[in-house]
Amino acid sequence: MDWTLIIENSLKGMVGVNAVYFAVAAIGMNVQYGYTGLLNFGQAGFMACGAYGLGMTAHYFDIPMWWGIPLGVLFSVLLGLLMGIPTLRLRADYLAIVTIAAAEIIRLIVRSVKFKTYFGGSDGINNFSEPFREIGTDIGIQQSAEYGFWPFTFTGRELWTLVIGWLVVALFGFLVYQLMKSPWGRVLKAIREDEDAVRSLGKNVYSYKMQSLILGGVIGTFSGMIFALDRGSVQPDNYSRDVTFYILTALVLGGVAKVTGSIIGPMLFWGLFTFIDNFMRQIAEDPIKVGNFTILQSTQVGQLNYMLIGLALILLMVFRPQGLVGNRKEMAFDGR
Amino acid sequence: MFLSVLGSFFASMTNTAHAADYALRIQVKEQSRDASGKTDNQPVAGVSISVTDANGVEVGAGETDESGVVVIPVPDKADYTITLDESTLPDGQSLDAKSSPVQTVSKDSFVTTTKIINFFTGESQSESQTFVERLSQRILDGIRLGLVLAMCAVGLSLIFGTTGLTNFAHGEIVTFGGLATFVFNITGLSFLGFLAFLPGVSEQGTFHILWAAPIGVAFGGFFGWALNAGIFSKLRRRGIGLVTQMVLTVGLSILLRNFFLSRFGGRTRPYREFTLQRAWDIGPVSITPRDTVVSILSLLILVTVALALRYTRLGKATRAVSDNPDLASATGIDSERVIRLVWILGGALAAIGGVFRGLDEQASFDMGSRLLFLMFAGITLGGLGSAFGALVGGFVVGIMVEVASLVVPTELKATPALVVLILVLLFRPQGILGKAQRVG
Repeated sequence: MDWTLIIENSLKGMVGVNAVYFAVAAIGMNVQYGYTGLLNFGQAGFMACGAYGLGMTAHYFDIPMWWGIPLGVLFSVLLGLLMGIPTLRLRADYLAIVTIAAAEIIRLIVRSVKFKTYFGGSDGINNFSEPFREIGTDIGIQQSAEYGFWPFTFTGRELWTLVIGWLVVALFGFLVYQLMKSPWGRVLKAIREDEDAVRSLGKNVYSYKMQSLILGGVIGTFSGMIFALDRGSVQPDNYSRDVTFYILTALVLGGVAKVTGSIIGPMLFWGLFTFIDNFMRQIAEDPIKVGNFTILQSTQVGQLNYMLIGLALILLMVFRPQGLVGNRKEMAFDGR
Repeated sequence: MFLSVLGSFFASMTNTAHAADYALRIQVKEQSRDASGKTDNQPVAGVSISVTDANGVEVGAGETDESGVVVIPVPDKADYTITLDESTLPDGQSLDAKSSPVQTVSKDSFVTTTKIINFFTGESQSESQTFVERLSQRILDGIRLGLVLAMCAVGLSLIFGTTGLTNFAHGEIVTFGGLATFVFNITGLSFLGFLAFLPGVSEQGTFHILWAAPIGVAFGGFFGWALNAGIFSKLRRRGIGLVTQMVLTVGLSILLRNFFLSRFGGRTRPYREFTLQRAWDIGPVSITPRDTVVSILSLLILVTVALALRYTRLGKATRAVSDNPDLASATGIDSERVIRLVWILGGALAAIGGVFRGLDEQASFDMGSRLLFLMFAGITLGGLGSAFGALVGGFVVGIMVEVASLVVPTELKATPALVVLILVLLFRPQGILGKAQRVG
């Protein structure tokens, strides 16, 4: 067993691109779930908005890539309205149902043959991130050179995405932190605790919920953009509903209704995930058997990891729904 | 004549020069469909094909072999005309009305070195149906899907009604029933080999589907009971919030689905019996005997459930708890007992849905989770928490989704369900049969 390699990979996983785009998406979900008590199970749909906004500039509109940012934000605002208008006056579960459905339909639409001209079908859209890479080269980061110190060594290509990515995390983290201290943020938290009380104070709960949903969604959109820029491609199947669920798990792991929680959650999530994945792959090189019954073979490691994510989410919800750094009192809301 | 002989002479010379370079692969097929409606074309042998270039010079000719294929080498990427000699078609066969005996290929259409050209004989299976025929077939398919959806959705809606929980793992209960049946039907449990004296049970412990299906359903009911007893009743007792429970069901869904995937694999697999059947043509539609039996059974089960809810004591108690849990408790109804019953019944019904879906579309690790969103659309349309609403809503959504595939591409046929979901929530959030209450 190669412990150095496992620990090296896990530490790298904690700050890698996966942790970055999860963190941005989790900050967005935290606004909705942690602060307002809204269950958005369609964060992947918002992420797809950002990714496809960028991709479509090159693939369909034939305009400079940077237009993709306002385009993606526009898409996600529209998506937020589509999800919010019918559901936000109703009980919490309706939003969950509609968001999960809308995100799934978005995935079906962007991968369909029918709309291939717009979204590139199941192959997605490739090779549009050059303008982004060029800026990295311009400020002196060699795309293929190695940077960093043990264990955090990255190629210039990765480093550039990480620099921008963590800047975006910091920016949105700061923004959300400030917003939640403001009177506006206090109204959101009050809605989470007791909607009727807030309504009786003359606040337009519906409008506040809508703002929260859209703000969280737009932040999620940037997560999709970071992921797409890193890959230089968008693939519809990267935005399945499971992605939303994994982000939710990462958020709950870190801590809800806390900005720090939404950032350290994804870091821990990917650190642990990489650790378990590497560890399992090493012990499962030979299939583990009891008698004739195979308990684990190397092809099943991937599924086992995801099972553990599910189990982790269950255990967290039973024993620590507020997450690592959250405050239990803030997660006592009921949704009725 | 002389020219064409000369032409083919030159053609054959160039052929040897560019032996494997460029070729036309001509396939002649008779169109047909198998019982399940999938394309099952038959090759047609012994048909003469000739190929001429842009100047009308013949560059090659041949006859289709046993597999209905002839490969004619051509000198280069260029425009060619392929002619099928209709007099060489087998007796009683003719080209499809839409298919011309002369086809052309252009230089640009050579993507690889070999270009495939198809000729179809017989009636086109997809185009010849009239709109009414296609509509009635879709409605029939929709009824089948709707019955399965209604069956799966009753449990989802009843659980919601009695406990307030939206169970995002309900699709996994459906899958559980389908796969449990698969285990008994195909995989076999060797320690049950001693039961081989029973009809339909083998030495390896595999069971005929008529055994396996009820066993799978029983397991589904047990699974529902276990979920309630092991997790949700404890959470209710501890007073854990509904939102927390809902997120927990998401974790449960991830856990179970990946467990199924790791044990069952990503492929879809059929049950042993009733797999291949010839469809009955009834007027404009066709349906296999298996689907007929399944549909009638579903209908019977659903009617039984509806009657039981309406007239039995337990059914009345269930609806009372669903209506107002506190009031029900105050009138002496043991609501925990009702909830336990609802989980068992819901699990068993979901498992029946899974088995029927497996018979219809084969079993797979995500057969249930792919239905989840349609179930939600169904119960929202019918009215969240209302069992009758779930029956009606699931049924309507099933028909709608299938009929919609006449207008929208098949890959997008679930889209109308989202539209319905949004429209219902906008204009009648309590659904068709739900009772209006002040919300928000």
